[in-house]
Amino acid sequence: MKYTLYLGCTVQSEQFGLEASVRETMPRLGVELEDMKGASCCGFPALSSVSKVGWHYLSARNLAIAEEMGNDFLPLCNGCHLSFVETMHYLEADPDLKNLINTHLEKEGLQYEGKVKVVHLLEVLHDRVGEKKISGELVKPLEGLKFASHPGCHAIRPSDIQKVDDPEDPRKLDNLIKALGAETFDYPEKIDCCGSQLAVASGRTTLKIAGDKLQAVKSYGFDGLVTTCPFCFKMYDGRQRAIKGALKDSSLDVPVFYYTQLLGLALGFRPERLGLQLNQSPVDGLVERIME
Amino acid sequence: MKPVLVIGGGVAGIQAALDLADRGLKVHLVEKSPSIGGVMAQLDKTLPTMDCSICILAPKMIECSRHPNITIHTQSQVKEVAGGAGNFDVKVLKEPRSVNESKCTGCGVCSQKCPTKVRNDWQEGLADRKAIYIMFPQAVPLTATIDRDHCLYFQKGVCQVCSKVCPSGAIDYEQKPEEIDLNVSSIVVATGFQEYDPSELKEYGYGRFKDVLTAMEFERLVCASGPTGGHLNRPSDGKLAQRVAFIQCVGSRSHKKGYPFCSSVCCMYATKEAVLIKEHDPASEVNIFYMDLKVFGKGFQQFVDRAKSHYGVVYIRGRPGEVRMNPVTRDLTIWYEDTNTGDVTSKEADMVVLCTTMIARPENKELAEALGLELDEWGFFKPLNPLTNPIETGLPGVFICGCSHGPRDIPESVAEASGAAACAAEVARRFM
Repeated sequence: MKYTLYLGCTVQSEQFGLEASVRETMPRLGVELEDMKGASCCGFPALSSVSKVGWHYLSARNLAIAEEMGNDFLPLCNGCHLSFVETMHYLEADPDLKNLINTHLEKEGLQYEGKVKVVHLLEVLHDRVGEKKISGELVKPLEGLKFASHPGCHAIRPSDIQKVDDPEDPRKLDNLIKALGAETFDYPEKIDCCGSQLAVASGRTTLKIAGDKLQAVKSYGFDGLVTTCPFCFKMYDGRQRAIKGALKDSSLDVPVFYYTQLLGLALGFRPERLGLQLNQSPVDGLVERIME
Repeated sequence: MKPVLVIGGGVAGIQAALDLADRGLKVHLVEKSPSIGGVMAQLDKTLPTMDCSICILAPKMIECSRHPNITIHTQSQVKEVAGGAGNFDVKVLKEPRSVNESKCTGCGVCSQKCPTKVRNDWQEGLADRKAIYIMFPQAVPLTATIDRDHCLYFQKGVCQVCSKVCPSGAIDYEQKPEEIDLNVSSIVVATGFQEYDPSELKEYGYGRFKDVLTAMEFERLVCASGPTGGHLNRPSDGKLAQRVAFIQCVGSRSHKKGYPFCSSVCCMYATKEAVLIKEHDPASEVNIFYMDLKVFGKGFQQFVDRAKSHYGVVYIRGRPGEVRMNPVTRDLTIWYEDTNTGDVTSKEADMVVLCTTMIARPENKELAEALGLELDEWGFFKPLNPLTNPIETGLPGVFICGCSHGPRDIPESVAEASGAAACAAEVARRFM
């Protein structure tokens, strides 16, 4: 299994832990990663409000490079994944738009055909590697720990286009948590938004949305929260201190992990190899418990 | 005169059989399950009069079994049909009961002693039955049957407890499937419907949350002959449900998942079930989430008005987007937009009832092929002309009634059954 790895801007600018843990753990599971040459911004769907063509051009540019490289295309961010999937959807439906994009790509000697397969980290781990393989590789099963699963909305919505998991009842991240020997169960707020999309418009609302979910997660007795989206991670991990302030809840302390960080611990990697020292939520106690 | 074949032993088939038999015609009533009665036998009350459903149906069922002109073939299915109006040759396959029908007295000792527990489909899975069982207390014929797929003797060659305890020596493990050849003048198709399975509508959590029930499951739960004796103990933890929410149009009037047609009955049965809850406990909180109230039948609007004003049932106009469950309390939250006010808000409930639609029976396909009839795109039988010949089919001498050709309520099914019986009798006389 060989994939073209696309990191995306959030991972490269502030979420180093995700990159580190992916690079450590994936080869152990037989997944080979090839870095993308000349990658640019995914286009970020929000750009479509300024220039739809600009969005599709940036997105298709990466897709064209991935097509040339030949492997399936693995973006690490939910937002990038959606941007690519949406662009493929629109260019397939509108040949004129596709031609226009290709005339722009020609200047760089690139050509977008729409043949590349975009895959999500959840699909690679759940559908291709499989829970069995993961369970078989465990060195430190995470027994006795309960983690809340947060797949993130861009992995499952819009439901007509994004097909990573069931939009109303996503299960893959839950299954992957269980594959590590940990427990998880359904909770009402599981598919609620992390709030990050509102950050520019209303910082306070953003913190309230994220905080409500963290408080709920704590109330159900989970030991921590797991996600595969760098944007959601940024909200729950990087902004947890701000959330505590905004909610005036000093007792709020939910350890937040990328899935691959937790996977790495269970596979026996050292925490620092997984970038866990960079997590800003209180993960240290839990990491120590796992490492014992 | 040649006999008439009635396929399906629900209320429509029973009505057609009785009408024909009372006219002096011999009738073969073919039913797939071990007892006639159909879905109506499972219902708690009928609407809008709130009469006990089985109390209305059971006398008709017994009349069928006692009528000298009616022969009931249970656990039987029509396999082949040849010929035409006035002269149909029909092959019926009768599955073995493994119990001698003429010897069994229906005492039930065999089920008491049988060691094997199986999901009770008649109780909609809310209770267990045994591998040898009588389908329900009012079953006609009141005869035990062995479920060979689960019976220890048929699966592993051991046990035989039922044959040891049967006081009348009725157990017969050697029974074979039987082919019955019938020659009939005309055929009435009354195959009924099955309930839509709402599992695919993940947003409502059916299958994930134990206290999200379908309407048929609720009918059994609220019924005195149901698994809790009619007490609304919710399945997850047995807590008495005092806040119940009904979600209408589940699987119907939808273009994304489910079916585009109207279920025709869920506005009214939700109202009936809501009133039942209020009759059990007037202090309980009942909310019905609806899109439109289609209550056009006789006395229906007055029934809804009474549910609101007299019983205090609350109707909320909005199609809920999601049902969620608190993992600690197991209580459910329904998220919805109240389209009268535009507010997006939520309501808590102990139990949610999904008002599911009626869909075509899967066996319709095989039967339609045997008969040479056409099905519509949803698998229901097609009438010759929905306006002018609603109970005739493309094949002279074959008539349809009840839910075999689309969702409808009990009065309409019964009226159609009488119509189909009249048409079938006419054919029988013409070819005398």
